Amino acid sequence: MTDAVHPAFVYLAGAVLVAVTSGRWRPAVILTVPAVALAVVASLSDPVELRTVVFGQELHLLRVDAWSRLFGLVFAVTGLLGSVYGLHVRGRGPHAAAFAYAGSALGVVFAGDLLTLFVFFQRRAPRALGAGYRYLLVHGFGGAALLGGIILHAADGGTLAFGAMSLTGATALILLGFAINAAIPPLHAWLTDAYPEATVIGAVFLSAFTTKTAVYALARGFPGEPLLVWAGVAMALYGVVFAVLENDIRRLLAYHIVSQVGYMVCGIGIGTPLALAGAAAHAFSHILYKGLLFMGTGAVLEMTGRSRLTELGGLARLMPWTLAFYTVGAFSISGVPLFNGFVSKALVVAAAEHEHLVVVEWLLILASIGTFLHTGLKLPWFTFFAAPRALRATDPPLNMRVAMAGAAALCVLFGVAPELLYRLLPYPVTYAPYTGAHVLTTLQLLLGTALGFAWLLPKLGGEPTVTYDTDWFYRRGAALAIAGCRAAATMAAHSSAATAAAGDRLAAALWRPGGRAADLAAARIGPWIAAGVGVLVVLVLLLA
Amino acid sequence: MRVTGALLLAMAGAVVLEWALVRPAAEPPWWHGTPGVQAVYGVVGCVAIVLVSKWLGRWLQRPEDADD
Repeated sequence: MTDAVHPAFVYLAGAVLVAVTSGRWRPAVILTVPAVALAVVASLSDPVELRTVVFGQELHLLRVDAWSRLFGLVFAVTGLLGSVYGLHVRGRGPHAAAFAYAGSALGVVFAGDLLTLFVFFQRRAPRALGAGYRYLLVHGFGGAALLGGIILHAADGGTLAFGAMSLTGATALILLGFAINAAIPPLHAWLTDAYPEATVIGAVFLSAFTTKTAVYALARGFPGEPLLVWAGVAMALYGVVFAVLENDIRRLLAYHIVSQVGYMVCGIGIGTPLALAGAAAHAFSHILYKGLLFMGTGAVLEMTGRSRLTELGGLARLMPWTLAFYTVGAFSISGVPLFNGFVSKALVVAAAEHEHLVVVEWLLILASIGTFLHTGLKLPWFTFFAAPRALRATDPPLNMRVAMAGAAALCVLFGVAPELLYRLLPYPVTYAPYTGAHVLTTLQLLLGTALGFAWLLPKLGGEPTVTYDTDWFYRRGAALAIAGCRAAATMAAHSSAATAAAGDRLAAALWRPGGRAADLAAARIGPWIAAGVGVLVVLVLLLA
Repeated sequence: MRVTGALLLAMAGAVVLEWALVRPAAEPPWWHGTPGVQAVYGVVGCVAIVLVSKWLGRWLQRPEDADD
């Protein structure tokens, strides 16, 4: 035990502080808290640790090594940039929720045992960010699976220390909990459902922290698990295929989170030092460029009130700075040379090549084509160029531009100087991304994609449609539950008005909520229903 | 058409550079030493992704105001 300060506690204390601060002091708090947290993370070094004993169980609250320092650092940087981005937002709620969320993500990253991990994993539900009750429903189930897995794992004589685990019945539940948070299809729909509904500041924090804490947990818990190789490839392709059909720019980006996390999950599954370093590097890069992309699209939404491709166009002249910063993010995610994604994505693909996983390598490259097609071409073309709409907009306020500039600068910095990133990785990396072969073949791939885009342009415009995804199954299940509730209420001869009303409330909560009251009811009971289902699953497994 | 022409020209330039600079020192597998493989993959992959997605969209897409 040392005198170290846990960076999560800085954010959690900051959440309380910002909630009780008002007036001109609030901006100072909003900037100071993440700056202090960043300084604390930067000052952490081996072998700092914090342990405490709760109910006879020793909890390892703070474990500092290369993995936790890498994720902690990029979380802290993004926390600061996200706070600058949201500085102009009035009200305590969004800032307090964002701080609590960032603190919990840091809690996961520095957790040294499974119970500490669980506590912080579950604290991350974004009640105040308006991300939707279905998010809570799915994560309640994932949390129950995770806790059930931890309990079973301990009962089987396994250690509670958070490290690599072999796949058993108990650890499969832990893996399920992580997989839901990592948005591995078909368990991913909560992400593309919830992110586009979040506030502009909420989407930045959600995109940075949620799936990446799961990637971190998978990397520590299940490195080299073969299942994850193909799960990652499936994710990488699933996201780009669905992005073609998407009309909402923030949902399009959400599908590309699924795709990009696929590279990381695949790298974890391959499990070699190069692959794990690649997964870590890509997570680091992704947090920066995806945060930047959500800032750019958030700026469009904030300044125009619109987020559908069918309602946007011609903003380049009105929002030139936003376009410039968005383009840096788009080039980064697309793996354009001199941007950070070029380096980190190549590490995962090279790891697949080194292991002679030829199909995996080519499918990951295919996903890369889809990424540039949507994020680098389709979205910016139909938002900033194409047919100008009668929109009145300007670039966003200074704080939002500063945050975007900061994220863009980091994307370029780690792109032109990859050794800065290599120094932070958990394994030594000697891979040279800037060879003639790699640069030229990447440029060919990007130019070929652009050519395909130019040819298919008339087919690629947004359409005023919604796309069914796997959330259809629980929506449809909920519709059946509604019918069941109503039928039960009607059939009961002694049914009172109160019983019928309770049935209706439950039905409304399970189905898409129609109003604020239903939303609140859903937010209250949703997690309990999901947790109940999860507990039932655990009980069945225990009895089996 | 001007954009398409410029893209084709740039792509041809990258393929020629690959042939001149990369091919002589290329190691197996065969696609490392064959200029233009990635350019072709870029075009074909892009078209394939769009066509497959649009085909899936026939079943998965519904009007925004549809009540499922």
